[in-house]
Amino acid sequence: MAGSPAACRIPTTSWSRTAGGRGATEKKKSLLIDRLMKSISNVDILELAAVYEFHGEGMTSVEHLHLKHVLQTVCALEAVVLRSFGPDGGQVLFTRSTGQAMLSRSGTQILKALHLEHPLARVVVDCVCKHSAVTGDGSKTFVLLLASLLRMIHASASKAPIVSECSKSTEAAAARRLADKLLAFATSELADLISVSVVPRGFCVSAEDFTTKTQPPARPSDFRIQTLLSSFFHTRLDSVHCGFLSDLACELLTRWKFQNDKLSFFLQFLSDNFPALHTQVSGFPVSSSRLIEGQVIHRDFSTPCLQVHKQPVRAAVFTEHLQPTILHQSYVLELRCGGRVTGEESIVPFSARTERSLESVIATLQSFGVSLLLCAVKQSTAVLALAARAEMCLVECVSEDELSLFVRLSGVTPISDCWRIQPENIATLTFCRAILLGAHRYVHVAFCDSSGVKPCSLVICAPGEAQTDQCTSAFQDAVRVLLTMWEPVSTTEATTLKNPVQPHEGTSLHAHCPTGNAAYRSDTCALKPGCVIPAGGTFEFLLHHGLTQHSRSHSASSCTNLGVNVCQILANTLLSVPRQIYSHHPKRFLQAQTRITSLISDRSRPFMAFKNVANEDPDRGDTPSKRFMLDLGLESISCKYQLLLAVLQCATSLLRVDAMVRTHTALCSPSHKLTNISEESTDDETED
Amino acid sequence: MALNGDEEDFEWEPPSEAEMKVIQARRERQDKISKLMGDYLLKGYKMLGECCDVCGTILLQDKQQKNYCVSCQELDSDIDKDNPALNAQAALSQVRERQLAAQSPPPTQAAQLNGGASSSQSGGSVPQPRPEHCEGAAAGGRALLPPPAVPPPPAPAPTATLAPIRPPVPPPSSALRPVLQEAEEAVLTKLRWATTQLQSSASLEVSTQLCGLITSCANSLRSLKELSQ
Repeated sequence: MAGSPAACRIPTTSWSRTAGGRGATEKKKSLLIDRLMKSISNVDILELAAVYEFHGEGMTSVEHLHLKHVLQTVCALEAVVLRSFGPDGGQVLFTRSTGQAMLSRSGTQILKALHLEHPLARVVVDCVCKHSAVTGDGSKTFVLLLASLLRMIHASASKAPIVSECSKSTEAAAARRLADKLLAFATSELADLISVSVVPRGFCVSAEDFTTKTQPPARPSDFRIQTLLSSFFHTRLDSVHCGFLSDLACELLTRWKFQNDKLSFFLQFLSDNFPALHTQVSGFPVSSSRLIEGQVIHRDFSTPCLQVHKQPVRAAVFTEHLQPTILHQSYVLELRCGGRVTGEESIVPFSARTERSLESVIATLQSFGVSLLLCAVKQSTAVLALAARAEMCLVECVSEDELSLFVRLSGVTPISDCWRIQPENIATLTFCRAILLGAHRYVHVAFCDSSGVKPCSLVICAPGEAQTDQCTSAFQDAVRVLLTMWEPVSTTEATTLKNPVQPHEGTSLHAHCPTGNAAYRSDTCALKPGCVIPAGGTFEFLLHHGLTQHSRSHSASSCTNLGVNVCQILANTLLSVPRQIYSHHPKRFLQAQTRITSLISDRSRPFMAFKNVANEDPDRGDTPSKRFMLDLGLESISCKYQLLLAVLQCATSLLRVDAMVRTHTALCSPSHKLTNISEESTDDETED
Repeated sequence: MALNGDEEDFEWEPPSEAEMKVIQARRERQDKISKLMGDYLLKGYKMLGECCDVCGTILLQDKQQKNYCVSCQELDSDIDKDNPALNAQAALSQVRERQLAAQSPPPTQAAQLNGGASSSQSGGSVPQPRPEHCEGAAAGGRALLPPPAVPPPPAPAPTATLAPIRPPVPPPSSALRPVLQEAEEAVLTKLRWATTQLQSSASLEVSTQLCGLITSCANSLRSLKELSQ
């Protein structure tokens, strides 16, 4: 829909800086537009701040943005996600006009479901989605931190001397400078600060910690992945099922763990193949979720599955049609015999010939002992009939993900040419049978044990479809959280500013990081992989304390034009997170803060020894403080660090946007982004 | 940028208490706006890329394609609360200020008026009555609220000029006449002011409200005349 004509006006006050007076003339309007258009064509699309092309009426118009618009947009988004924030947050139920319901506590899903036409709001939601696609968690915290950061920046910038006409532009420029300084500080010094003030209070979780309640831990003070996942599920689902689901997740991870392989490798594998590795079943309680051995192919048999007991089962994978598809409707077939077009009666020998070739293919398969055929496409009725006669089970239209997973797990190559069937195209399975999950019947296959991996598939049950979707996305994000936790964190400015991270480039970027860092710095991984800290605001309190001390010690050198301390701003911003966590019980916020501050000052006995499972742990027993910390759950330090960086980069890019250009287009496509530049044409990043 | 030069001329001073109150009020208002906008977004409203002409808040659009500004249509306006034509409190405080400035005649004993509100304030002996009382009286039409300070007689509380007038039941006594005269004068002043405002007003809403004020002033005068007869 078109914007109202009133919006095409250009606010006159905003021109005062460039035009030097009130009232913009047509000439100046078109001049600015020309400059913008020229610059857009010169600069690389990827490196600019994004503005979205959207509907406009009448002529092209430029609308200048002020700090208060940015603030209002982000605060509105904050108000949206605030109610679902934290372990005590609520769920949002969305219903479409089709009647489909979506239940969510995930910030990304909530924000994506909103109708947003404002370009800034869409930039923020985009940043949140990209961040969440990499780390899996922290989208609501992102918006919360962004809002409180912008408020602090606004408060500091408005302390700038007010000169009557230029007040808004002065404020905007001051805000921009402050944001740049914050980002520079974060990329250069924050990692060290975290490793000094936060990491010693946390501890490392190693891959051997995949213990579930079936295997009691070696020591009662063993911190396990289970606690981490449990607190994650608590914020994403509810407190009733978080323990059960985290046990299930641990079991899944244990069974999929490739021996002698890098931890991140199998987690990446799980994350990529998760759609093929799980089945959603509605109508059952959550506690009936379980793991199933092998793989579930989400199709039913096309031919009756007669033999069940013949073992081992041999299978073949077809990607093409077995019978050539030229005998379809609406095709015109011209049969030539020696250069002359033959008559219609020759179709019969032609089809007889194709059937005979088909029979020979089936005979070849029978000679290999194949009894299961997996096809990516729909086969013709002749194929079905022949397969049924040869007592072979046929499964059609198997999705690409599942086929590729099957191929990967069984180690065969799919048959592309029916006339060349080799032994390496034949897979050996332990069994193959139909399985009834919920209201659907699927094909269940199990692989022969190879390389010590016991593949298993996850069955997620929930009372309704909305809840199964919620559980599934929670599982998927849990895997990503673990992946982020164990990835070495890149801390150099060069890496974070120059390489835009796309979700599909995640692995390659992480592979590059260690080599890039090694040349740049001696201690590359200041934030060691697997560092965790108790949840409930501990990270924020500790970092707040560290930043305050840092600012005090550098108070002489860190003077800015506005007399504002960058560290102090960041420290105050961080406190908004625990404040929101304890928003229903303000007393507990103060209690937590005093407890942690007192424990910080108690240096004689560190409350959390930095320990590794392999190291000798001086067993001091469970102190009350340790038990308290355990109850809160765990969260990953590297996730938090990446979140902070992402928030600062998003804030910087938001404040750099100077104007919205409303263009007259016929279509409004959200995927098509035009770029807009600030008047300084700076390069910038919207994503870490 | 040439902003450094500006900064040398000005030193940032911490805001005074009044300014702090204004800043605080503004911040609370912005928080309310954000919360309301968040609620509407969750209800399915669309956040547009445009701002309201009047207050600069981001516009929302509901499913019937109707634009909606949260602050104009739901919250009390920030600046309108100081406009006497639109707000009872502001009108009352303006009248009071004028009376104080004019050094009104010595306080007179005013008998209690039964039933609802008189159309204006009584003598200037009443020490600056607080707006809270006005609000209560304006909202509920309560009869009398004694002022907190200790004047010798409890005087009837001042009430809003826009409150409807109920005809008083007891016959007028002689002590009532000067009070009524003052009341009449005050109403006439208000009427005159409203007329001048109406002549210069350009906005439709303001004019409507001014006409409403004039109507109620006329009604008050009528009741006062009946009372004095």
